[in-house]
Amino acid sequence: MTLTRLDRLRLGLAVATSKTVTSLIRLLGLGAGSVFPGEIAGRIQPRVLPLLTRQVKYGVIIIAGTNGKTTTSLLLRTMLERQGWRVAHNATGANLINGLMTALLENTSLTGKLNADYAILEVDENILPLLLQQIKPRSILCLNLFRDQLDRYGEVDIISQRWLKAIAPLAPETVVIANADDPTLSHLGQKLSQQVLYFGLSEPEQYLDEMPHAVDSIYCPSCGHALEYQGFYLSHLGDFHCPSCGFKKGQLAIDSREWPQILIGIYNKYNTLAAVLAAQEVGIAQETILDTIKNFQAAFGRAEELKVAGKQVRILLSKNPVGMNETIRAVNQIKATGKASTTLIVLNDRTPDGTDVSWIWDVDTEKLVALGGNLIVSGDRVYDMALRLKYSQTNLSEPGLKLIVKEDLREAIATALELTSPDETLHIVPTYSAMLEVRGLLTGRKIL
Amino acid sequence: MTTDKDQLIIGWLYPNLMSTYGDRGNTICLRQRAQWRGYNVTVMPLDQQTSAADIHKVDIIVGGGAQDRQQEIVMRDLSGAKAQALREKIEAGTPGVFTCGSPQLLGHYYEPAIGQRIEGLGLLDFVSKHPGIDARRCIGNVVFEVTASRLGQDLSKMLGTAPLVIGFENHGGRTYLGKVEALGRVIKGFGNNGEDGTEGAFYKNAIATYSHGPLLPKNPFIADWLIQTALAEKYQTPISLSPLDDALATQARVAMFKRLGIVT
Repeated sequence: MTLTRLDRLRLGLAVATSKTVTSLIRLLGLGAGSVFPGEIAGRIQPRVLPLLTRQVKYGVIIIAGTNGKTTTSLLLRTMLERQGWRVAHNATGANLINGLMTALLENTSLTGKLNADYAILEVDENILPLLLQQIKPRSILCLNLFRDQLDRYGEVDIISQRWLKAIAPLAPETVVIANADDPTLSHLGQKLSQQVLYFGLSEPEQYLDEMPHAVDSIYCPSCGHALEYQGFYLSHLGDFHCPSCGFKKGQLAIDSREWPQILIGIYNKYNTLAAVLAAQEVGIAQETILDTIKNFQAAFGRAEELKVAGKQVRILLSKNPVGMNETIRAVNQIKATGKASTTLIVLNDRTPDGTDVSWIWDVDTEKLVALGGNLIVSGDRVYDMALRLKYSQTNLSEPGLKLIVKEDLREAIATALELTSPDETLHIVPTYSAMLEVRGLLTGRKIL
Repeated sequence: MTTDKDQLIIGWLYPNLMSTYGDRGNTICLRQRAQWRGYNVTVMPLDQQTSAADIHKVDIIVGGGAQDRQQEIVMRDLSGAKAQALREKIEAGTPGVFTCGSPQLLGHYYEPAIGQRIEGLGLLDFVSKHPGIDARRCIGNVVFEVTASRLGQDLSKMLGTAPLVIGFENHGGRTYLGKVEALGRVIKGFGNNGEDGTEGAFYKNAIATYSHGPLLPKNPFIADWLIQTALAEKYQTPISLSPLDDALATQARVAMFKRLGIVT
């Protein structure tokens, strides 16, 4: 690949400026500088993204989807690094264009040379089409599509149409790794001419007892007829087929029974399988993959465990109905063993959380309330969350349940820790910005 | 002890198709507020398995928002005798709350961003159009005052103050009213179309609105009006409901009014 002298010059200037900005942000203690440097570089050299990604030695791997991007990226990155490769990765979870540029610039010399064997880019579902106009990835992982922050994005159907339009014109050797259990993504894969590797579960004993309410897609994406489900694993992910047009889930390229999983929860089974397929695609040895899964440490806030004031704490980021339902499922399993009497829910409504909090009414909080214990609520929308929990009670007062409302997050955390006995785990269930705040308070360090 | 005057049947339109944006909160709110007062509540899904006779049994009708594709499936199913039954119920004064997608189906038609115009029941005199896939959605916290004459008076009497409704709107489609009365006047937000200051529509005892949030938990006086009206219609006798502790709803409202700079 050749760069013109002007391109090279502007790239060099862009890199130098952004690196100065990063140092300044950190020097002044303004945070980690995970977004702004990319913005500056993009102004000086608008083609900074294609110019940088073309220099990645073996290729760019894109990870997109509503839930699980950060955990899957971290797992895949660890596998690649154990194999001895250098990986550029937007590890801070900044997944809009500026965040991607900032991450790549971190691995770029002042002369504009990027030193990485692979780049892993976790990408916001709405940004994917825009990104694919600028770069040519080696592979794309499509994890899932759930209803997330509709105030920003519009509807699941529209997103999948945009993805299809963006991926279809890519080079034929591009590999797409897709979740077969998600009808929208099985359909997407079947519409593509590129190679598609499907992952999914083959474990009917994990089926949910009943269809959850927070379901987005139970109609055939091909003909509109109601899909028939043998069972649901998580939200609308499951074993399905269309009795009308014959549409069915893509043929799995991996057997879920043959692999252990990272962390807790069904959703992390999916994250594991996606990373395994991507790792196999680049030729990582089986032992390395297995070893990485066994020794995996959670990304911040994603089932991350901390020890605070002698108490065990687990932070479970939950930013949409599907995520929170799965969190409740995991917490309840632990609650049932008597090791988790206290749960703190922190609901914020800032831009990264989604400004619409209606979604909490699609969460089956009744299941959390049913097991009783101490439920503490906090966050920007503390009263909305409290109201949701109140309406989850069958009777006006439930004897085994203590609902505690704390506007002040510090107080909320202190109360929650106090109510947690030393042999228990406190579960904190925050939205995105709330997770950063909680973590900042628990570790005494803020993240920008 | 159960008497024959404590039954309430909530009919929920297509729960699997029309339930985006937390609108089932309206059903949950109605059910809990009636149950907490000792009424015997049944929630009956009104969907593909439902007959016209089932629709005639319900005392309150609740309908939520839907994605465009789901909305088409609903309209295909809601035709013939079932459409007629729903029409008769609303004409007869059965109270209902219809949010976002479901009012669009009560109007004359809805033109989605992609695909064919979807014909509605033509029960309420309005039309809805999506200006196109790339048009800006109407998104944000919304506050409006209920101005529909009879409903507004009832609510003012219950509250002793002007009935301010708080919610969250999120719609691509725009609604333009014909002769039907608007539900309210927008104080903050877009409302029906972002142009004429109207929000929703009110016809007989049916409330149509773009306000999610969901609507009822944070505006519990509307929930109680629906329950009260339903029971009065059903048993042909005036009903007065015992009060409930709505402190959390009040605090949630105060917090949002304060943030939006609205003096109440």
